[in-house]
Amino acid sequence: MQWIETEDVVRFNEVDEWGMAWHGHYMAWFEVGRMALLRRFDLLPKQMVELGYVAPAIRLTCDFKHPAGSGDAIIIRTTVAKPEIAALTFKFEVLLKNNRTLLAHGETTQVLLTTEKKMVYRFTGELERRIDRLVHFCHKA
Amino acid sequence: MEEIINNTNKLCEFLKRMIIDTLRLEDISVEDIETDAPLFREGLGLDSIDALELVVAIEKIFHIIIEDEDVGRKAFASLRALATFIQQEKQES
Repeated sequence: MQWIETEDVVRFNEVDEWGMAWHGHYMAWFEVGRMALLRRFDLLPKQMVELGYVAPAIRLTCDFKHPAGSGDAIIIRTTVAKPEIAALTFKFEVLLKNNRTLLAHGETTQVLLTTEKKMVYRFTGELERRIDRLVHFCHKA
Repeated sequence: MEEIINNTNKLCEFLKRMIIDTLRLEDISVEDIETDAPLFREGLGLDSIDALELVVAIEKIFHIIIEDEDVGRKAFASLRALATFIQQEKQES
């Protein structure tokens, strides 16, 4: 499985009273990784809307393994699972940059709706082509 | 399979088993699924991701494509509605 890596830094305002990166911020870092991946395949939210779709998240999981502190450089790794159904599941890992300690890993699942808010049961047309390219990239040998 | 499709009672039983297996409904038995109750929300309580899994199962088993939510709303109205939908699609094909 191929992952793309994006770098970020834990900001002062992202740590809690105990000096650890607050758990909710990992969702924002997942989003940074997802956007970096989607940008490569012309699947950014605005581009999805141009195709006539929106992709709300319906599930999110995250396991926290190690704390990060203010100023720590982090790496966000992102990939997408092979879709068995008309939904996209992204997988994420957040690592410390200096020694690649795993801080957290998680998943999000998004379904596709048309901009008229009707659920999409199968990927078709240009949407299918772009998703195929994304999935192929993440699963090429 | 043709014999099952042409017999509404058998088809309903088959579909109940398919739903339980596809969605891994461990606490639900075939007897728990009412033939005329809604499958989603207030009935069996299925959700949107369940619909996507059922769409794939129906395509694999019956080679019937449920294109979108408009068709799905009709097909998934109840277990009986799903059986009727499958019988109609097979008659037309």
